Amino acid sequence: MEYLSYLVATGISTGALYALVALGIVVIYKATQVVNFAHGEMFMLGGFFAYTFHVMLDWPYLPSFALAVALAFGVGIAVDRVAFRPLMQRQTLVSVLLVMIGLSFVLKGVARWLWGGKGDYLTFPPLISPEPLSFAGIMVMSQQLVVLGAACAVMVAFALFFKLTRAGRFMQATADNPKAAKLVGLRTDRVYMYTFGVGSAVAAAAAVLMAPLTLLYPDIGFMLFIKAFAAAVLGGLTSIPGAVVGGFLIGIIEQLAAGYLHTAMQEVAAFIVIMIVMIFIPTGLFGLGRMRKV
Amino acid sequence: MRRRYPVAALAAALAFGTGLAAGPASADVQMQGVTDNEVRIGAFGPFGGPVYLYGKLVMNGVEAVFDKVNSEGGVHGRNVVLVREDDNCKPEGAIAAVKKLAYDQKVFAIIGGACSNATLASVPELEKSGIPMVVNSAVADGITDPPKTNIYTTQLTSGVESRAQIDFALARGAKTMAVVRMTDAWAMARYNPLIAYAEEKGIEFVENLELGVDANDATPQALKLKGAGVDAVIMILYPKPGAVLIRDSLKIGSNPLWVGQTAINDFVAFEKQVGVPDALTNFVTITATAFQPSDPEVKDWTDRVKSLFPNDELSVFNMNGIGSAQVLVEALRKAGPDLTRDGFLAAMGSMDMEVDVYAGPIKCSAGESHQCNQHPGWLALEDGKVVKLQ
Repeated sequence: MEYLSYLVATGISTGALYALVALGIVVIYKATQVVNFAHGEMFMLGGFFAYTFHVMLDWPYLPSFALAVALAFGVGIAVDRVAFRPLMQRQTLVSVLLVMIGLSFVLKGVARWLWGGKGDYLTFPPLISPEPLSFAGIMVMSQQLVVLGAACAVMVAFALFFKLTRAGRFMQATADNPKAAKLVGLRTDRVYMYTFGVGSAVAAAAAVLMAPLTLLYPDIGFMLFIKAFAAAVLGGLTSIPGAVVGGFLIGIIEQLAAGYLHTAMQEVAAFIVIMIVMIFIPTGLFGLGRMRKV
Repeated sequence: MRRRYPVAALAAALAFGTGLAAGPASADVQMQGVTDNEVRIGAFGPFGGPVYLYGKLVMNGVEAVFDKVNSEGGVHGRNVVLVREDDNCKPEGAIAAVKKLAYDQKVFAIIGGACSNATLASVPELEKSGIPMVVNSAVADGITDPPKTNIYTTQLTSGVESRAQIDFALARGAKTMAVVRMTDAWAMARYNPLIAYAEEKGIEFVENLELGVDANDATPQALKLKGAGVDAVIMILYPKPGAVLIRDSLKIGSNPLWVGQTAINDFVAFEKQVGVPDALTNFVTITATAFQPSDPEVKDWTDRVKSLFPNDELSVFNMNGIGSAQVLVEALRKAGPDLTRDGFLAAMGSMDMEVDVYAGPIKCSAGESHQCNQHPGWLALEDGKVVKLQ
């Protein structure tokens, strides 16, 4: 029983990590109908921004955190201006996806150029004590609890943002029907721009929180993106609660597969989930595709 | 019939051209890349991608040595010039890089080879070209075993390290052992000789587990190791999965003897990566280098690397480049002012020297052992300080 408890508890804490990254993917997809394949690199950049301020320049944690998030917001807006908007004006969705993939490689190269040469895996100090804590008889890393709390907080904040604010409703309206949104006077291009900014900012916030656990290196983004994408697909690409639930489920599935089948399954579980979901429930657990068809 | 003339003419021209080329080339090739005031040395490895550390940073270390040698007047009055080629850590990239360096850039010798698979793939081309090669990062035994006339390595090979890992655990009295490994080419080059040596010694691993290179959690592996009650864990892991494994094992109160290898030989950095206080009390690791990058003994190299490459902090990757380049420069010196390929290879084949950064001496024996580094050093943490174990 202790064995199972450990696996589930760890799955939840690892799942929180995937959920936070998945949130950014879903927010951008929800508004633009585009999967941002460079989202993992936004995460990576956010982490390196914070590393630069907090570790290299020795600035305090909170200003470093805030500045990293703000810079990532700016990078997200730049991505919209440079890559997304010009291509979407020509309505070439495939080109946008290809450019996003290309962008992910460019950003990795830039990171190697700027932060490479300082060792293989860079460390980032944790927000709270690095000692593990006992939680209902199960030992967990304290930083994992921070990530778990942050995932829940960000999820609630986004839910409220989309429900209660004008900007959130604009995003929802643009996602549902961009042409209609334009016809009623919404500046959809601006909505897209802020969406990319917000998505990148969430990725950066996640990176700063997770960096003590994941370490920092230029290639950190890809595998996290794949896991988070699996979470988003499982939850339904348009659902914010779905991204969070999907993240937790992927985390738990990975742990159970590695714990009870074979440790090799830990790496491939997310890919298997993507395949199964795409075949049997293509709209995901909370997706809206089926409702639209009706 | 008329159509045969162009074909025949082309064949004749090719035969004539080849014949013309073959004569002088066989004489020139001995001094290819050598002029009165410089000797050109090639290097190949990845400039980018996840393993750029084994390419670009090692080359930076090589360049630091060449810079020092040149500032002191060169070797027999010749400046040593490094010509870099990117192989993208791919077999086809390494083959192309060797061809380019040997036939286009016409370098005298090559120093490098970062990725085992890529370097292994380039071996036939290296042998065909006859160009002297000093391997400084790739660890696969097959590159230099059986010995090839023109290829030597100054790096600890995977077989040497794997055997040392088991021997160390046995010497520490381990009765039950487990192995935790990645599954890429680098790891398999170590895993296969490890299993062969374990069989030879009659050792059966109680757990044989996998862990991904990007793993952020290793709780299932840690639980299995704890459940099996292992005394020692052989780690065939990069620093990140290694750090995650130790962190998650400590989390559940398990701390066997952890036996690492040269991929985890920056002890100070690794302790930070694990991120838990006093995490490395039971961790030992192999080092090819005699010092940690922060040690005062290598301060001169720290300063030189920093001045040449301001973005670099001296790392074990730089140090591997430094050690191998010192061996290459010594062979250039021993070969004398009338530098030839044969002279250089003869010097390499009888090399016996101490190097600033390696844990043990470099000893090569032409035709017998081209794996010139047989001395793994061991590092452990004692009273909060990194110490070299005897």
